[in-house]
Amino acid sequence: MAGAVLAGEGRLAPGAPGRGWGLRYGLRLAVLAAALALWQALSAAGLIPGDEFPSMTATVSALGHLAMSATLWAAVRDTLAGWAIGLAIGGGCAIVIGSLAGLSGFAYRSVIGVVEFFKTIPVIAILPIALVLWGATLTMKIALVAFAVFWPLVIQVCYGVRSLDPIARDTARVLGVRGAREFLMVILPSAAPFIATGLRVSVAVALIVDIVAELIGGGSGLGAQILVAENSGPSAYPVMYAYILVAGLLGVLLAGLFTLAEGWVMHWHESHRMAAGHAG
Amino acid sequence: MMGQAPQQPVGTPRGGDPAEHHPYAPVVALNGVRKAYPLRGGGQRLALGDVTFDVARGEFACVVGPSGAGKTTLLRCLAGLAMPTSGTVEFEGTPLRQVPAGVGVVFQDYGRSLFPWLTVRGNVDLALKARGIARDSRPARIAEVLASVGLADAGRAYPWQLSGGMQQRVAIARALACRPDLLLMDEPFASVDAQTRFGLEDLILRVREEFGVTVVFVTHDIDEAVYLADRVIVLSASPGVVTEVIDIALPRPRDQVATKRDEAFAAYREHLLGLVMTR
Amino acid sequence: MRGEAAAAAGSAQAGSAGSSARAGSARASTVRAASRVAGRAATRAWLFAALIGAWWAWSAGSTSVYFPPLAKIVRTLWAQWAVGPARAQLGSSLEHLALGYAIAGLAGIGIGALLWSLRYLREATSPYLYFLYVLPAPVLVPAVITVFGIGAAMKVVIIAFAAIWPTLLNTLDGMRGVDAVKLDTARALGMSGARRTLAVVLPAAAPQVVAGLRNSLQVSIILMVVSEWVASTGGIGYYIVTAQESFDYLGMWSGILMLAIVGGAANLLFVLAENRLLYWHYGARAVEGRA
Ligand SMILES: Nc1ncnc2c1ncn2[C@@H]1O[C@H](COP(=O)(O)OP(=O)(O)OP(=O)(O)O)[C@@H](O)[C@H]1O
Ligand SMILES: [Mg+2]
Repeated sequence: MAGAVLAGEGRLAPGAPGRGWGLRYGLRLAVLAAALALWQALSAAGLIPGDEFPSMTATVSALGHLAMSATLWAAVRDTLAGWAIGLAIGGGCAIVIGSLAGLSGFAYRSVIGVVEFFKTIPVIAILPIALVLWGATLTMKIALVAFAVFWPLVIQVCYGVRSLDPIARDTARVLGVRGAREFLMVILPSAAPFIATGLRVSVAVALIVDIVAELIGGGSGLGAQILVAENSGPSAYPVMYAYILVAGLLGVLLAGLFTLAEGWVMHWHESHRMAAGHAG
Repeated sequence: MMGQAPQQPVGTPRGGDPAEHHPYAPVVALNGVRKAYPLRGGGQRLALGDVTFDVARGEFACVVGPSGAGKTTLLRCLAGLAMPTSGTVEFEGTPLRQVPAGVGVVFQDYGRSLFPWLTVRGNVDLALKARGIARDSRPARIAEVLASVGLADAGRAYPWQLSGGMQQRVAIARALACRPDLLLMDEPFASVDAQTRFGLEDLILRVREEFGVTVVFVTHDIDEAVYLADRVIVLSASPGVVTEVIDIALPRPRDQVATKRDEAFAAYREHLLGLVMTR
Repeated sequence: MRGEAAAAAGSAQAGSAGSSARAGSARASTVRAASRVAGRAATRAWLFAALIGAWWAWSAGSTSVYFPPLAKIVRTLWAQWAVGPARAQLGSSLEHLALGYAIAGLAGIGIGALLWSLRYLREATSPYLYFLYVLPAPVLVPAVITVFGIGAAMKVVIIAFAAIWPTLLNTLDGMRGVDAVKLDTARALGMSGARRTLAVVLPAAAPQVVAGLRNSLQVSIILMVVSEWVASTGGIGYYIVTAQESFDYLGMWSGILMLAIVGGAANLLFVLAENRLLYWHYGARAVEGRA
């Protein structure tokens, strides 16, 4: 069972108000201000050449211009489309297939070797095939995202379904809970922590793969815009960095939304029961 | 909805007369039950070696025995959760092949047996849904059974928001919700503190009258067994076999103070301790 | 659990055979154990073999340029990557991968440990670390190219920069999870701060650090290919993209297979190292699991 559980990094620590709250946020703001000031100072002093790395003010003003333009929002929409549809398809398939495989010992042992192998194939290896099949389209992005999300998640679902507590299983049996009801009311909820861990990683992986598909596959979205900006030469570098910032913010936003949703769905789980009492 | 057996009125206080213990056909009968677990790398381990006894309708039977005697194994065989390696278990006259609808089980580990993703109501409701109880009669049934374990107001809470004793009461309520003929309990009060435990013992005696249910109760606490039971079944150390069956002729209703002060109580207690300690 | 009924049936037969069978039971159980191991290996492998067989059979007569026969792909794989010119590409890719990954791993653990011990710095920087972790690293490739140009340095930098975050955040998380009793024990034994970090905290956090290193490895491989793909001078990514652009689909497929092999082999090596390093952890867990 080595490596059964994906790494748990990337969980946003709940920023609970409480003692030291002001200090913490004060420190964080100070770090941000210092970093921005340092960036600006280095550019102004000519320590980082402007034709390689734009100044902070140039980047922020480019970001401001972009926020007013339709190009940015169209790119965000295209990126989100590939992310969401791919995640839904890959995640849905993983839950169905992982549950089926997890329910029977034979199916599990048959499938696990194949899954472990496919999980180690870098998604990027599939990109050329997807490009040959679908070209630089939304379908290509969706296929890649779904592929990338499917393998790690299907393993988590398998482990989750198989980790059902024997006493919970016996309880379901003596209560006469069977079939679809057993699956929905007992097996799926008890596998939920595993699935959530897998999904948390998948949310980030899906975005990375989506943007890679745009960046080197040419699908429209933030990745393609970054490439366009790079190819337009140094004058467009502020725009390039503005897009990069947008991509990072999008990642933070999606991960934050996922954390919220997780807390809402999994409110009953140990890790969420006393969320208000924890300090980050 | 509750198996083929007709509902029989039980609920009159059962006195100490041993003749009253077998007024009807047995609810469960074990005949030469042996259970062996396969071991890793071949071979097997005998957990139960030839157990035969039966439990009459309305009876309160306690099973005691040292740790590892096979008490849990025995209970799992009674519940249809495990099949005996040889021998038969008959529930209401038919051999057990699966978990029968007329059996309720309370496990020792309520923390793992109550579903934490469902509220107290949700846990009870799941049992009713699974037995196909109509939607409109469920709220009343839930309220009734929660009230009878003294948790009328806890329906909206989640099990993990309750104390250990309250959680075990939820598990009892859930097991009783479908009005089983037979209630199986595996060391249900082993992990609650002493005061709570006395309360729960009286509670289980009361609901057993109220619901007219037959009870098989596993414990390793001799006092608890004598206090609760009509009959105590003593298992030997592993592999478990029945070494003695003792009728407890203490008057009912029982009382934590009066019953335990009784000389007869002390005598039963001493006798049982001797049996369990030497083996 | 599912096998319980079958196992019970089996032992019922064994039981009915009685004690006379006990003499031969040692040999029988060895045979049974051996056949069980063989059976388990077979269940693990059959689907895999079936899939490869299906691909082989399905593609055998293929005339599609996009999906050449598997037999031909394997032959190209051998000719190009094992004995042919692409070996150099493979070598350069692996060099960058190893260097970038090593930097990321060491820096991730080091910085993670440092941040763990400097509480205020950690508090102040944690949202930005998180930002860098979720920032899809490939978007930085164009930016790094503008600074470092096209060459080995760019590739190593991009791999290291992208792969550092999973290790760093996991190290931090794992260290934060070290239980207070272990720390107090170390303090009671009079260990100094640095000693405590090395001898107590790091081993206790090791399982999670290793989980982070594993994620970092996967990120490294992706970034290795992306960097070669976008800024092509050599490497597996460069090979695949040139093959695809020149309609050499056999070459493309052989590159894809090579990449799958690299991914699988890297993961295998990782798991082997992990089992050696963390045998105490899995050992303890297996014992707990059996109880
Ligand atoms: N699933 C299993 N596989 C193998 N052996 C088992 C299994 N379950 C129980 N046993 C063995 O069977 C014997 C009886 O176990 P059981 O759990 O029924 O004892 P118990 O009387 O309930 O003990 P306790 O009082 O500690 O709960 C023990 O020796 C135990 O090791
Ligand atoms: Mg037990």
